[in-house]
Amino acid sequence: MVCTGCALLCEDVEKYDGEVRDACRIGTAHIRNRQQINPMVDRKVVDMDSAIKGALDILSHAKRPVFVGFGNSITETQQTGIRLAEKIDASIKTFHTGIIENILNNRVKTCTLSDVRDYADVIVFWECDPMNTHPRLLSKYAYYPRGEKRQHGWEEDRIAITIDLRYSHTASICREVHKIHPGLDADFIDALIDGLHNKVPKTTYDKKQILKLAGTLKKAEFGVIFAGTGMTTPQDAIIRLMDELNEVSNFHILPMTPGYNLRSIAAQLHGRADSGIDMHEADCVLCLGFDLLNSLPVHEINGKMIVIDPNDTISSRYADVVIPCAAGGVDCAGSAVRMDGVEVDLPRIMESERISDASIMNQLLEAM
Amino acid sequence: MRLQFEEFLAAPECKIMIVTYPDIFQIEAKLKYGKFSREYQDLSAIIMLDSGDLKKIGIKDGDTVAIKSEGVNVVVTAKESEEEHPGIGYMPESVWSNILGVYPVSATVSRSQQEIPAIDELLSRSVS
Ligand code: SF4
Repeated sequence: MVCTGCALLCEDVEKYDGEVRDACRIGTAHIRNRQQINPMVDRKVVDMDSAIKGALDILSHAKRPVFVGFGNSITETQQTGIRLAEKIDASIKTFHTGIIENILNNRVKTCTLSDVRDYADVIVFWECDPMNTHPRLLSKYAYYPRGEKRQHGWEEDRIAITIDLRYSHTASICREVHKIHPGLDADFIDALIDGLHNKVPKTTYDKKQILKLAGTLKKAEFGVIFAGTGMTTPQDAIIRLMDELNEVSNFHILPMTPGYNLRSIAAQLHGRADSGIDMHEADCVLCLGFDLLNSLPVHEINGKMIVIDPNDTISSRYADVVIPCAAGGVDCAGSAVRMDGVEVDLPRIMESERISDASIMNQLLEAM
Repeated sequence: MRLQFEEFLAAPECKIMIVTYPDIFQIEAKLKYGKFSREYQDLSAIIMLDSGDLKKIGIKDGDTVAIKSEGVNVVVTAKESEEEHPGIGYMPESVWSNILGVYPVSATVSRSQQEIPAIDELLSRSVS
């Protein structure tokens, strides 16, 4: 079975006698629990048909609709969602896809997680903390396992480095740890680029440490940067760093995507024209598997809100229409794209009466 | 608890930059008990502060602090960090931190007598 608890999409998870085996803390909680919500219109519980009718009513009157999220839905739902957006000229907003865009545009070199396991000798965790977000990354691919060219594993064959705003849990297993000052990410990159060119950097950071880091990166046979997608570093600085690194070394980048299927929606939306409606101007906001109000104050949403989600969220409490759905890969089957671009089939883990978000989007598409 | 305004105004302030971080136990609590649960709130509505900064504002580990940034006011529990990071506060990613703005956020932190607001209350009164 496959766990959709994060974008690693671990394929070795088992459910046996009601117990989830081999999943991490996040995966186990994700598979076993659901904060179920009722279908609602105007915050009153209704049946599913009425909730879907309520959503249709809002969508059919919308002049400036915006769809948000999509990263926590199976690929099939995303495809239907895009068709629905095209039909009513809605803008689709996903978040944290900057590095994926650069990969899709071939601006930065990337690799698969299997490549990391087999070949990576220098692994950099840049503004990310997989021990807390993608817990099995280190044990399955990035650090601990032996690989084709890394038979001695982490003890001898791999060097892990953390570059972050804080001393994270992941930092505690790394040989080198570099702290970035908040807001000074680009300065760190500039200093590092100087170091890569054997120049003593003009910087407020520790020059010796920067030169040591540059030396380690230059010696990499197969380097990989796991980049936090919420990282505050400007995208152009990341591209510049990757270009410079690949002049003197061999480096790949992998985005630590927050949604389990963010890579898929980013690829599907790549190069597609979008109506570009601003969230604040939207008269209808459809949240698909995404808790918008977790990050945006409620008073900044001026339109009607529709929420399609397997769980009770902050947004569902404020939404005009709530449509509960099955959770992708748990109680409905489908497919998804792992954080490194590998397609994965998601079988259903447990029986459920819940309707998939793909089926809900289909109903909306057909009725519009 | 009513806001004891004089005391709040008189409380010494410390300027900090706020940075968010992910916490596996908080993510697990969200999945197990939901975002409106006490378990999730206890692991979310916190800020990790440098021991020197705690002293500056006259509080100890576990006390309540008010964080202010551009008109937004959030009350959370202060925790003392084991490592030194003067001038920087670390908050788990959640609505209690996100409401302060886009990271890194400049803010002031001071002692507070207020209770930590639940999510509904936080969203309704966050703009002071
Ligand atoms: S690492 Fe991610 S995909 Fe793997 S078991 Fe944990 S949550 Fe699930």
